[in-house]
Amino acid sequence: MHSRRLLTTALIGAAALALTATGCGVGGGGGGATASKTVASDAPITGTITFQTWSLKNDTFTPYFTALIKSFEAAHPGTTVNWIDQPGDGYAAKVVSQVTGGSLPDVVNLPPDIAYSVEQAGGLLDLAKNVPTLTADYVASGRKAYTYTGVEGTYAFPWYLGADMNYWNKAMFTRDGLDPAKPPTTLDELIAQAKVMHDNSGGKDYLMSREPDLGDIVQTGTDLMNADGTKFVFNTSAAAAMLDKYRTAYAAGYLPADVLTNTYQGNNAAFLKQEVAWTTGQGNGIQTVGETNPSLAKEMVPSPSIGTPNLNVQGISVSSKSKHLALALAFAQFATDNQNQVDFVKIAAGFMPGTTAAADDPAYSKSDGTPAGDASVIGYEDLQKAVNFQPLQWTQDMTTVLKQQFALAISGKESSQQALDNIVSKANQLLSD
Amino acid sequence: MRFHRWYTPWLLVAPALAWLLTFSVWPAVNTGILSFTNVRTLTGGRFVGLANYRNIVDDPQVRDALLNSVLYMAVCVPLLTLLPLLLALLVERNLPFMGFFRTVLYFPVVASAVVVAVIWQWLLDQRGLVNGLAQQLHLTHEAIPFLTGRWLLLFSSISLTVWKGLGYYMIIYLSALGNVNRELHEAAAVDGAGIVRRFLSVTVPGVRRTMILVAVLVAVSSLRIFTELYILGGSAGGVGGQDVSLVMLIQNAAGGTSGRLGYASSLSVLLFLVTIVPMLLLARLNRKAEQ
Repeated sequence: MHSRRLLTTALIGAAALALTATGCGVGGGGGGATASKTVASDAPITGTITFQTWSLKNDTFTPYFTALIKSFEAAHPGTTVNWIDQPGDGYAAKVVSQVTGGSLPDVVNLPPDIAYSVEQAGGLLDLAKNVPTLTADYVASGRKAYTYTGVEGTYAFPWYLGADMNYWNKAMFTRDGLDPAKPPTTLDELIAQAKVMHDNSGGKDYLMSREPDLGDIVQTGTDLMNADGTKFVFNTSAAAAMLDKYRTAYAAGYLPADVLTNTYQGNNAAFLKQEVAWTTGQGNGIQTVGETNPSLAKEMVPSPSIGTPNLNVQGISVSSKSKHLALALAFAQFATDNQNQVDFVKIAAGFMPGTTAAADDPAYSKSDGTPAGDASVIGYEDLQKAVNFQPLQWTQDMTTVLKQQFALAISGKESSQQALDNIVSKANQLLSD
Repeated sequence: MRFHRWYTPWLLVAPALAWLLTFSVWPAVNTGILSFTNVRTLTGGRFVGLANYRNIVDDPQVRDALLNSVLYMAVCVPLLTLLPLLLALLVERNLPFMGFFRTVLYFPVVASAVVVAVIWQWLLDQRGLVNGLAQQLHLTHEAIPFLTGRWLLLFSSISLTVWKGLGYYMIIYLSALGNVNRELHEAAAVDGAGIVRRFLSVTVPGVRRTMILVAVLVAVSSLRIFTELYILGGSAGGVGGQDVSLVMLIQNAAGGTSGRLGYASSLSVLLFLVTIVPMLLLARLNRKAEQ
């Protein structure tokens, strides 16, 4: 009888252990001790680390990374860098599972929004504390993207940067009575020229082909958040007026009817099919299109972004949980030093290095006279004034609400002001949850 | 050698029990616990009492999702309980090419829900086949907003669910019809009962339990609908976000690097409570049928 009770107790104990081992509890998180770690400058650089990139393992980039790692390992005997690459889709989910599973690679390529979430979980090393030359070596816009309101430190080395710019279809412009040398420079001009294209093509050609987003609100001069970053405040009359313009244009047929639906092919696909005469992209847009559609590439005319360009930035972070922090930090710094970034953007055309030395290089501001060369220079110039519009507090949930409410406003089912009020109200509620 | 020790049965069921406790019971319990917190995907949280449940009450999308679920159930349950039975009666006969027709009717079940939904998306799009034909035949001048109208999108999704489910439930009815006594049919025919009378007085009582089972299965899957609405209307739930289901709301709330796991858990608890109602109804109807 005694042995039976003992076994029962053991079984219950084992079951309880199994349960608690699998449960994800409440608590944890927060930067705290791990993020504020300091790496001694004389710490030995030895061991094995993992370096993770995002969708960069292909014929173009693999030789670069192989050579980069080989070069680092040769300069630091006794070190091994294992390179892994994650596919483009679902990267955020992959990083989330790595953080929660305690398997975040030692050195990892993260965009600012994902880096913010990982930092909030205490997963990243503060580089401002560990790299005295960070401010001098890396461009301010790139560093700012990884410096978060209310959080001390910088959480990635700026790696490569790009800014949105415009591409227009010269043949469609000419066919529909527009001058490709004078593309729109404001939203009002865009709508006016969209009307001309619509009327002259019998409604078959489009100039406007995307829904507005947060960036369009910023272009109206509206602040998205209050000064201390605690509340969204973009439900202004200027933003409502911008939405009203889109509503009028949509009702007049200047945008594809299905632009608000899930089945819409997207602006880029419509541009490639030459149904739409405007798209946005990086400075290498003409070369990229030329690889698959050379006849369209010949018709592409670049121009600066309408309003303030959006900054796209990628960075390389160091996991605060790395067992070889000195090595991880040294490799991250090596991968993002000026020479390696300059070599990298030679194959990542259209982007700029995130180093101050490269930003001052006059070579980037000289065109060879071709449209592709002009586009590279425009991309460089746009980058100097580009801003990362999206606040880090902005979540996927909020994007869903924005899309829903914008669709209601543009389709005329709700007033623009009401839509903006609803978005701001819901976003603030989600922020405070 | 003795095998009949008291713990032998426990040892035999232990692996299955451990699996069940680890992957079913504990996650369910944990979901309940998390529903009272504000835990996010990567950061910890704290106990917030009933705040998540208060947010559910205040959330207009939850009301939309519940209304959609009830409508989904109200349309799907009668259609998917009766139509597959009628189809099963048609294809159970030993006539030429019946095997072919059974295969054709079962085909939508085999096809992936995502593939089927994408095909329907192409059919119902503003520039899709249905709208193209309607305009070619001058039935309408403007595209019918199958995928953008609040109610049209919902009923397009319901139509897809019904079409895809017909074959599956037809197979269940085919096996049930095999148990209906043929002599009863013959006796009723001899007594002068027509085809409708025989259907109502012989076939339906013979497959009543199966009908109850099918009705409950359809009700539960209607309340948990996701793929059809998600593919046809997108993650935002159509234009304006009113064509959502509870499962879509859970997915939206929990997604991303700062997903609200606490709120998503409270929605999961709500979904559990809503779906358990048809299950309890089944138990009650079963008991009545036995009596």
